[in-house]
This record gives sequence, C-alpha cells and structure tokens, in this order.
Amino acid sequence: MSIQLSKEKIDEAILTIIANGGEGILQCVQCGACSAVCPGVRAGFPVLCRLLIKKLQEGQLEEIIEETSTWGCQACNRCTEVCPQGVRPLEVVFAFRRYQAKELAISTSSTLVQMTLYERGHAVFTDAQALRESVGLPGKAPTSAYDEKAQKEIQTLMDNSPMSELGLF
Amino acid sequence: MQQFGLYLGCNIPFKAPDIEQSFRKVFPKLGIEPVDLEGAGCCPAWGTAPSFDLTTWCSLSGRNITIAEEKGLDVMIGCNSCFGILSEAKHFIDTDPKRKKAVNEKLAMINREYKGTSNIYHVSHVLHEIVGIEKIKSKLKYDLSGLTVAVQPGCHTLWPSDICHIKESNPFEPTLLRDLVETTGASAPEYSRLASCCGMGGMRSTNVEKSLGLLKTKLLSIKEELNPDLIVTTCSSCFLQFDMSQPLLKERDLIDFEIPVLYATQLLALAMGFNPKEVAAISKVNRDVVIDDIQSEKRLI
Repeated sequence: MSIQLSKEKIDEAILTIIANGGEGILQCVQCGACSAVCPGVRAGFPVLCRLLIKKLQEGQLEEIIEETSTWGCQACNRCTEVCPQGVRPLEVVFAFRRYQAKELAISTSSTLVQMTLYERGHAVFTDAQALRESVGLPGKAPTSAYDEKAQKEIQTLMDNSPMSELGLF
Repeated sequence: MQQFGLYLGCNIPFKAPDIEQSFRKVFPKLGIEPVDLEGAGCCPAWGTAPSFDLTTWCSLSGRNITIAEEKGLDVMIGCNSCFGILSEAKHFIDTDPKRKKAVNEKLAMINREYKGTSNIYHVSHVLHEIVGIEKIKSKLKYDLSGLTVAVQPGCHTLWPSDICHIKESNPFEPTLLRDLVETTGASAPEYSRLASCCGMGGMRSTNVEKSLGLLKTKLLSIKEELNPDLIVTTCSSCFLQFDMSQPLLKERDLIDFEIPVLYATQLLALAMGFNPKEVAAISKVNRDVVIDDIQSEKRLI
C-alpha cells in the first residue's frame, strides 16, 4: 500500500518531535546505522530507531501512537555514538515517547513507578530495612526514602510539571 | 582522604545493599571517603520523568546534583542507569542556557540552585582513574589467579562517550572493567558479545520475553567462549538481570547452567578479605563455592 504524504502531517510530526527534544530528526538521512547497533531492534521491537524516525518523517505521528516499541528502548545511546549525522536518535525516540506519554499511550508497567517516585522519591522502592541491617548497614538508607523534606521537594517539582496533569500520582 | 558524594539510586540501597556495603568497605581502604548525599532521590529512571518532559527530568536530576554541589563534591555512582541519566541531564543543562534557566526556575521553588560545579563519575571510573590499578593491587589479601571472569560493563558508562567524564578508548571494545578484574589476578578475556545489552531496563518491563531472549544469547556466548567461574559487572541493573533471570532461564530449560554474579566492588572486597556476609550476601544464583574459593588459604598473598 502506498503512503500518502501530506505536508501538514509531516510538519505536525516534525514540530511535535522537535518540541519534545528531538530536533536532530531534521538531520536524519535514513542510513540505518542506529538500528544496526540497537539492542531493541535486535530483540525484535519493530518500530525503533531508523524505522520510527522514517515513519515520523513521513508524518505518521498519530498512526503509531499506540506503538510499544519505543518503551522497549534501553536508552543505551549506542545509536547516538554511531550516528554519522549527529541526529542523537535516542532523543528522537524519547521525544516520541514524550508525545505518547502526554496522550497516556504509555506502557502499563510505567504507571506504578510514577506513583512510587512521587511518594518516596524513588521509582523502585521496597522496605528493605531488615535486608540492609542483615549486611551491617543502617536500616534506613540516607536517601529521600525516609526523608520527608526531600520527598516534599521532589513532590513540588513533580506537581509543577506537565506530569501532574496526567493523574498518575 | 579524597571525598566523593556517594549517590545510591534505588536498586542498590533497596535490592542489593550488600553492594552498597562493599562501597563503604572498599573505598576508605583505597584512600577515598564516600560521603552520603542525604535526601538524594531517584535519578529519575528512564521510564519516569525522562519519558514525560525533558525539563522535569533535568530538574529532578539537577536537584540530586545540587546536594553534591552544596558539599563541594563530585558525584560517584554505582548504577549505570543513574550514571547515564545524571550525566545526560548535566549535559543538557550545561550546554543549553535556556534549559539551565528553566531548571533553576523550577529548583528555586525548593530553594535550590544548580551551578554545574560537580562532575559525575561512575564507581568504576573512580577505581580505575582516581585510585589506580597499583594502589588496588597493594591492598589485596587474596590472589585470584586461575579464576576466569566474564565482564559485563553495561551500557550507560560507555555511550554516548561525548558526555562521559571518563572515556574508554573504544566504547565498543571496553577495557576498563577487564583491567579492574585482572588487578585481582583473575583473567577477564574478551568475548564476542562483551559489549552487548543484557536486556534489563525498559525492555524488561515492556516485554520480558524479548528481554530474556537477549540475555540468553549473551549467556550462551559467555558459556561457550569462556566457561567462566564468575560474571562481574559494574552495573546494578545488569547485576539484577544476570542474577535473577538465570534461574528463570534454567527453569524453562533454555540454559543448563548458572554462573555466579558479583558486582565489581564485591569482587574487590572479597579479594581484600572483607566478610562475605556483609559485602556479598544477597543473590539468587548461589555463589558460596566461588566465594569460599576466593577467600581460601591457598590464595593468601
């Protein structure tokens, strides 16, 4: 099936990605160096790196909003290291993720961690006091986990961010 | 004694505190004092703020960095993901005056200001570049000659090299961790998938089967090419993936072996003679045999 390219849709997609931190998309020439080293592509996530960028260059922003491949990105930055055009492909992938996130097209595994981050200041938290004491450490780690002032600071930053509008915490 | 701000992240203090204890034991013996960054929070992890808004990411990372700046210290990190997140956030803030202004407007709400005065180091960077191989060697109690180690440097200390304070000469053929391991007398040979991803992180939370598939490929390569006594990593995420997922793969008959896993400072702590019940006590894959071997009388220097 041929793809109908529309200037309006292309402009909307490119401007959305740039607004979310992926301005390097303008430099991409589709050489595929990024996908050649991408562990996500190797693992079988179909729309990642070169192909994701191609779809965005063609203006297919809304068409791929439910695509989960971007959430499989490891953020390893192999792509950025090898890109001969200075695209910093990871930034394009994350810019698309941010577009998805704002529309709540997020991985279900990502919802709980936002709440934990808001409450404890840690995305990953389990009460490990006994475990810590068993290896000779104080039960309470000296982090935001048990520090109300630190938690309040983190909550203030999150409350005053676009994340606060999504009802995740 | 040179001080570094010890940034703990999430995995190490809550899932693998024996790794944290190994930092607290090993570094003072090597002339480095880890100073707690009280109230530091999540880096924040890739699946949180970085996936939603760049300035919020930089504000939360920036807040962590200001805690070190207030103490006049550089930051030392044991988790590769945290290292990558904080290094990138610092890069975004330091190279874009508008971003720095936006971040500081956010931080002003909590009476903080990001200045950009603290550098970001990984634990392995401090060991290799600040402490140095010879000093580490001089503090060892046991000689680990004869042990073969498969090293797992992890992704986020390697790429993108333009934002790393300490760089590998070739990040696709990293040697820093191999040097550290070989300080103990053990051998840490090259293998074909040395720089490959373990599958942890966003990939594991998005699609566990794909994640385990990458790990299996890497493990088979390690087993076939090196048949090592140990896997040693400098990433807490890689540590958790190798340690918790090998039993899963074995249960499914996808591998027929398990290789014990240690974080690099745990290996050094054991070779320095520290108590395994403190510095290497928590794992799914049993590592009693190799720990007993490391601290056996025949290896005393």
